[in-house]
Amino acid sequence: MNFLSQYIYYIGAFGLFFIGLYIMLTKKNLIKVIIGLDILDTGVFLFLIAIGYTSGGTAPIFSKSVTETGKMVDPVPQALVLTGIVIGVSVLALALALAIRLYGHYGTLNLRKIKEQRW
Amino acid sequence: MRRIIAIALLAIIVMGISLAVREIPFGKTDTKVGEYYLNEGREETGAANIVTSVVVNYRGFDTLGEIAVLFTAAIGLGAVFGSRKKRKVAEEVEKSSLIVYTGCRFLFPVILLVGAYIFIYGHLTPGGGFQGGAVVASAFLLMYLTCRGKRVRDKSNKVVESLGGLIFVGMGLVGLVIGKGFLFNFLPKGEFLTLFSAGIIPIIYIAIGFKVGAELAGVLDNLIEESK
Amino acid sequence: MVNPVLLIVVPLALAFAVPLFGLISKKIVKFLPVVALLFNLIVSVMLLPKVMEQPIHVFIGGFSPPFCINLVAGPIGILFSVLIALVGLLVSVYALGYIKEGAIEKYHILYLLLITGATGVVLTGDIFNLFVFFEILCISSYSLVAYLGNKAGIESAVKYLLQGALGSSLILLGIGLLYAKYGTLNMADLAGNIHSIKSFSNFLPLVLLVTGLGVEAAIFPLNAWLPDAHSSAPSSISAILSGIAIEVGLYAVVRVVFTIFGASSFLVFLLFLGVLTLLIGEMSAFSQNNIKRMFAYSSIGQIGLILFALSIATPDGVSAGFFQLISHTLAKALLFLAVGYMIYRTGSMDISSLEGMGKKMPYTSLAFTIGVLSLVGMPPFIGFPSKLMIIRAALLKQETLFTVLVVLVLIATVIEGAYFFRVIQAIYFRGEKSEKKREGAPLSALIPLFIFVGLIVVIGVYPKLVTNFLDSTASELLNRLDYIKGVIG
Repeated sequence: MNFLSQYIYYIGAFGLFFIGLYIMLTKKNLIKVIIGLDILDTGVFLFLIAIGYTSGGTAPIFSKSVTETGKMVDPVPQALVLTGIVIGVSVLALALALAIRLYGHYGTLNLRKIKEQRW
Repeated sequence: MRRIIAIALLAIIVMGISLAVREIPFGKTDTKVGEYYLNEGREETGAANIVTSVVVNYRGFDTLGEIAVLFTAAIGLGAVFGSRKKRKVAEEVEKSSLIVYTGCRFLFPVILLVGAYIFIYGHLTPGGGFQGGAVVASAFLLMYLTCRGKRVRDKSNKVVESLGGLIFVGMGLVGLVIGKGFLFNFLPKGEFLTLFSAGIIPIIYIAIGFKVGAELAGVLDNLIEESK
Repeated sequence: MVNPVLLIVVPLALAFAVPLFGLISKKIVKFLPVVALLFNLIVSVMLLPKVMEQPIHVFIGGFSPPFCINLVAGPIGILFSVLIALVGLLVSVYALGYIKEGAIEKYHILYLLLITGATGVVLTGDIFNLFVFFEILCISSYSLVAYLGNKAGIESAVKYLLQGALGSSLILLGIGLLYAKYGTLNMADLAGNIHSIKSFSNFLPLVLLVTGLGVEAAIFPLNAWLPDAHSSAPSSISAILSGIAIEVGLYAVVRVVFTIFGASSFLVFLLFLGVLTLLIGEMSAFSQNNIKRMFAYSSIGQIGLILFALSIATPDGVSAGFFQLISHTLAKALLFLAVGYMIYRTGSMDISSLEGMGKKMPYTSLAFTIGVLSLVGMPPFIGFPSKLMIIRAALLKQETLFTVLVVLVLIATVIEGAYFFRVIQAIYFRGEKSEKKREGAPLSALIPLFIFVGLIVVIGVYPKLVTNFLDSTASELLNRLDYIKGVIG
């Protein structure tokens, strides 16, 4: 039980990571593969956020009532995740655009059937 | 067969990662860099939101790269679609019902306002340029879904995109010329916890907000138009 | 003194400004990359002699490292920057006349961003910043591969994107693990904390980073995307991808392995991987009938050779590796550019369709031949001294292992010579005798081609021009402590 409470976020993060990786490795449909990529990314972001957590910590934002740094979480992973999410969105948008064009050319999104170039 | 290989591969990676993660305790952080930002960030950047001070000031160069990534994707999207022969089909656009139409027209400025609030107050409250920009773009998505047939004006979109990026770079270059380096926070820090504080941070975040909003709206525009 | 940060910022600012210029006049847009790269070339060449003595450290935002992002304009960074600017400039001149269809404005924006990304990767001193610039490089490459929008282009771009994006996620995970353990992202600070890779929590980030970066560097077995992507992109982009993008990926791998982790025990593995990549690349190239695919596989082989040379990890080996990198960049960019107009004329990428090119396009064929000879390693071209240096460096180790590997490298060179000979034969000695009208490439293509030829010959005759700089690059890569001290102080 102690183990679970200690590592639950890591388990969740890597769980998502592996689900995404599994989808990417086994699915045939390009849209599903892209979804897998997104799930995998989400896992990585959750991991990044989890490593910055301090037990009982608050958001690293000062206000009139919060002036002490004592119980604040690490701000750096949050900044990294912000960057990571933007990059993830960019790749996702481009991937979907390519999927639309690929469908226009082949009439299918099944990656096993699209073999003009050798895989 | 493929699945078995995939599962075997995953099992190996699980083993590896769990061995490595065991050494990283959860809920305890004593990272050198993070501590420094928490303790000194207020003084050095004047922003109440430390994440913002990290994103825009300490690691501002990353953010410049980040908006470049988004810009790359938006332009790349245009390039991927740009080579296609444009079909000119006069489409029959089914009008949405009056209630939806009116409701969305009413909501549109409100969403824009929320987006603008999020990026203008990015240095004081949770939020910032990217989040605000995404909210602004969602207003345009709403318009696409309800007022079909309306499109983002291509030219003004481009101008906003360009100017947003150029203002960011320009602020950085001014810092390089008159200050201690690229992206140096050369403006006065102002009074802590007020809107006009934190030097160049709000200016950069407003530029980012406009840029991200315009870019995401452009991406949505491209995807919706081309997938018809 | 010019601040090295301008090398990154100026192309980026121009990329942002392209849409504004496009509103004024469509015609000036295509000259913007030329302007940006000319600026970069002049600045990098000016900085080169300075950084050979003392690396320039730039602290972004005026904070002190490790709390800010820093740039390390050392010998390697500026040497790469010169190379990127030089090749980029010549390719952008070539593109003035070559890129006529599609969204031209967007092509030039993406091109500028690609250059920005590549320059950023080689100059930055922060691991996360490296990741960000790496992504700019990758995403602009994905879009440029799909630029023509034909079946092959889109399909290869999809493949490239899926593999590249998976690699990027692995890099991010590796960075996360490093941050979790050491609480810093500065490469020098990380290097100062990492003493060995025996601990598994150090070894795993190393593997993740090398795997993720290795996708872009096309190290076997992560290079399935490369032949398709390089062969279906527009030829000017193939030249940049083969000449710049994979080399920058390799730089990132080497920087991670040597500087951050100081992983000397990992190098044996890279040594074998390099030779394996070399052999597989050259053998696959041998059986190709598509000329651009052949070059793409040859690029894989050359990357293997460079990796092999760098992993020898002696001053000689590292200098030889960088020399080979320069020689490959010049020769391969030349080849793709030359073959671009040949394909444009014939409309086919088959080697058989190049028959009789020696008469139809004599100047282009001459440049092409010189590129091929240099790549194979014939004197008096640049490929000869660089390959010689690699073999000498490997033999100087005086170990049986290295002798065996050198034999394998020589076998690969023979294979390389054999398939390139087939192309040369097709160009000059086959094809119908009937004299078709000569129709060469335009001047905007011939000028860059012959500048490349000039560089290849001049450096081939006077290798000292380059080797003088290479010693300090080797010492930057091998002396980890100097690098750490330079940044952290």
